[in-house]
Amino acid sequence: MEILTQIGINGKLLLAQVVNFLILLFIMHRFAYKPMLSFLESRTTRIEEGLKNAEEAKKRLDDAAKSEEKILADARAEARKIATEAKESSEKRGQELLMEFEKKADTLVVEARAQAVEEREKLFREAKGEIADLVIATTEKVLREKLENEGERKSVNRFLS
Amino acid sequence: MEISIIAEKLFSIGNFSVTNSLFIAVIVAVALGLSAAVFSRNPKEIPRGAQNVIEAVFEGLLSFIESITNDRKQAKDFFPLVATIFLFVLFSNWSGLLPGAGTIGLNEEHAGRIIMVPFLRGPAADLNMTVALSLVSVFSVQIFGILALGVRGYVSKFLVAPWKKPYAIGTIVGLLELIGEFAKILSFSFRLFGNVFAGEVLLTVMLSLVPYLIPLPFLILEVFVSVVQAAVFSLLTIVFLKMAVTGHEEGAH
Repeated sequence: MEILTQIGINGKLLLAQVVNFLILLFIMHRFAYKPMLSFLESRTTRIEEGLKNAEEAKKRLDDAAKSEEKILADARAEARKIATEAKESSEKRGQELLMEFEKKADTLVVEARAQAVEEREKLFREAKGEIADLVIATTEKVLREKLENEGERKSVNRFLS
Repeated sequence: MEISIIAEKLFSIGNFSVTNSLFIAVIVAVALGLSAAVFSRNPKEIPRGAQNVIEAVFEGLLSFIESITNDRKQAKDFFPLVATIFLFVLFSNWSGLLPGAGTIGLNEEHAGRIIMVPFLRGPAADLNMTVALSLVSVFSVQIFGILALGVRGYVSKFLVAPWKKPYAIGTIVGLLELIGEFAKILSFSFRLFGNVFAGEVLLTVMLSLVPYLIPLPFLILEVFVSVVQAAVFSLLTIVFLKMAVTGHEEGAH
């Protein structure tokens, strides 16, 4: 114990220093560490959250851009397909119409020809009839005139005789 | 020139004599507590001015502790004690470097001799302060150990029955560790006291030999030594705390 006092260790002072430090510890803990550390902690979590959100937003944006591109590509392909199909079908339809028209024209020609033939025959027939009538009428007239001339001659002859 | 290993008495309150080192220790504690409390109040989301410094110091200390404990929760448990030790030792040491420390004082007569009693004396240049800190540190280590392992678990670190696994070796190692716990008090207090007191002696001697320029490098060195000593004291406290809360079985595997 003698050596302790020689190097200046004094129970009262030692206790005072311990108490001093413990009070400082309490004050620092209560008024500085606790509020500050919890504040720092909350800020760290908030920053982490913010970073996470930003990352998520970026990812979502990327996804949206990707899906947009995909939709556009799909739409383009669809449009191309529709256009091709329309072209094909219109070509086919045109071909069909052409064929139909040709067929119709053929039948029309055939019909017209048949009609023409019939018409001619009818004309012939009519003309024949008319010619016959005319021949008969003429013959009659000639004969009559001849007969009349015969009769006159006879009468003349009688007068003369 | 008189350099006393014992802190000098400044004044008395009742029959309690206040020494210059205790006086400064109280002033440092009050200033530290007040400023920390003031600057930590209503922290702003976007730090400004002093809050930046406080945040940097606290974050730095916490990550320093965590780098040793490898455990966030333990780091937070240890933080108040370790941070207070670090800050108190650091500012105590720096306060002992203020101009006038050890040089401005009253001449008093002691045992027939005139000695100068300085008003300012670095608190750590007084064994009472360093022993007090060591006691607090080592006691806290025991308390943390008991809280973490339970009384039985903690005591079994030191008192190992000689008929159990490592037999006599375990018993002897346990006893050595028990002695080591007491040795920690000595090593803690004399390391800090020795460094700071030596620094003060060095500065006083240099100052009395060559008053200008020459003491400056030594002053800078002491500023640095103050940081190192504060760091060493708190670092060792962390290490001892970590060792105390780590169980025997845990450590063996």
